[in-house]
Amino acid sequence: MKEIKGLIKKDLFNLVSYKNSILIIIVFICAFAYFSSNAINYIPIMIVTMIGMIAIATFSYDEQSKSDKYILSMPVNKKEIVVEKYILTILATIIGAILGYIITIIIININNNIRPENFISLDYSKLFITTISGMFGISLVEAIQIPSIYKWGAEKGRIEMFVLIFAIALIIGALGYFLTEAKVDINVEIIKNFFKQYGIITLVIIMTIMYYISYKISYNIYNKKDI
Amino acid sequence: MTNNIEINNISKKYSGFELKNISFNVPKGAIVGLIGENGAGKTTTIKSILNIISYSGEIKIFGKDIKKDEKNIKKEIGTVLDDSFLSDYLNAKSINKIMKEFYENWDEKVYREYLKKFNLPENKIIKEFSSGMKMKLKIATAMSHNPKLLILDEPTSTLDPIIRNEILDIFRNYIEEDENRSILLSTHITTDLEHISDYIVFIDNGKLMLNIEMQELLDNYAIVKCSRQDFEKIDTKDYIRYKKEKYQYEVLVNNKYEFENKYKISTIDKASIEDIMLFYIKGEK
Repeated sequence: MKEIKGLIKKDLFNLVSYKNSILIIIVFICAFAYFSSNAINYIPIMIVTMIGMIAIATFSYDEQSKSDKYILSMPVNKKEIVVEKYILTILATIIGAILGYIITIIIININNNIRPENFISLDYSKLFITTISGMFGISLVEAIQIPSIYKWGAEKGRIEMFVLIFAIALIIGALGYFLTEAKVDINVEIIKNFFKQYGIITLVIIMTIMYYISYKISYNIYNKKDI
Repeated sequence: MTNNIEINNISKKYSGFELKNISFNVPKGAIVGLIGENGAGKTTTIKSILNIISYSGEIKIFGKDIKKDEKNIKKEIGTVLDDSFLSDYLNAKSINKIMKEFYENWDEKVYREYLKKFNLPENKIIKEFSSGMKMKLKIATAMSHNPKLLILDEPTSTLDPIIRNEILDIFRNYIEEDENRSILLSTHITTDLEHISDYIVFIDNGKLMLNIEMQELLDNYAIVKCSRQDFEKIDTKDYIRYKKEKYQYEVLVNNKYEFENKYKISTIDKASIEDIMLFYIKGEK
């Protein structure tokens, strides 16, 4: 566990060089939200996406300095390296979600005080759902991106990730098309009700499964790789 | 156990390169110099020893199989790798905080002493370091957890002669402080090894060419300079390689005294490690 802590420290120290860019982007998003009346719909998603993706940037630092080779010469194994990346990514996504939630509340309250004529009613449950949806979206991208990086490297992995996402979208689209063509009767109401009742928990379970499968694939790729 | 590293028949195949059946030991209290051309297999050997790449064969460090007891073994090793270190966006101060987590024996005081000795700033990011400064930081980092074994890949290649001598002194003192310690040092600056090595391991094109005690090398290896007529009289069993120069033949021998007695050729020069390497690579048999 101490080794994982060391790896997290390494990545956090690396990210310190990113701090100004992060602050500028957050200020920019906040300013944008201040002038918008439907901030509640996209601010949490933008912030969770941005913070979540920052964890992925640490792969580039490692690649540039070829630090994996050096790290493996220390008492650290490949499994710990992969586990740490997932811990960092998941932590970043959770922190992004919390920040997105809080910043949206603050901005809307400021907005309502300054411009009472454009009052935005704050629907906390809607905000919560938007935040969780943002988390889900970024988790899906990361769950595909991390194994792509382990397979093709940080730079090439980014391109391959889009190819993978496109392929998945194509498969889902094709599946939908064939189901409609085959006239399979899907009761949309049941699905809607199910999501209303169990939506959040379902998304959390799917996210957990996604990350787990993604981790297994990443570890298998990395373990077979000669550094 | 008399050896800190025991390498038995390790092989590794890449497309276009193969490391073939390498075996050698790094005894306790010894500095072993690993030499060879670029691409000869030195780094592949070091990566195998550190279990960073897969290989066939057996490697024991401190008497234990590196594949089975990797973590405990690596706690006692300090490494300098030629082309790899922590990110360039870190500084010496953050490296101290990171290393504390990896090594129970990490000694902050020793680390700071090295930084001071090498004139390295604590708050400057590595990206702004010169290549020599970066190498000194790598060496300071490798030596600050009181390791029993140092594995160093080209540690002196980017240093100027004054600092290089200083670093070689540090390596020498490290061994003298505790006779259970060892150093495996790969380099292409062979003159460094003549000053500090106890053994020389020479790898060429993935094959082990020479594994010899430094003293034996200095005592028995020599370069004989002779005419074509004299060269034709020499039995092929009595020399290792020869080179045909413009006016004479140069012959590498490993039995200086017997050779002198047998052939009565008087021009026999001492062979440096570099000469030996060159004869093996460029010479003919």
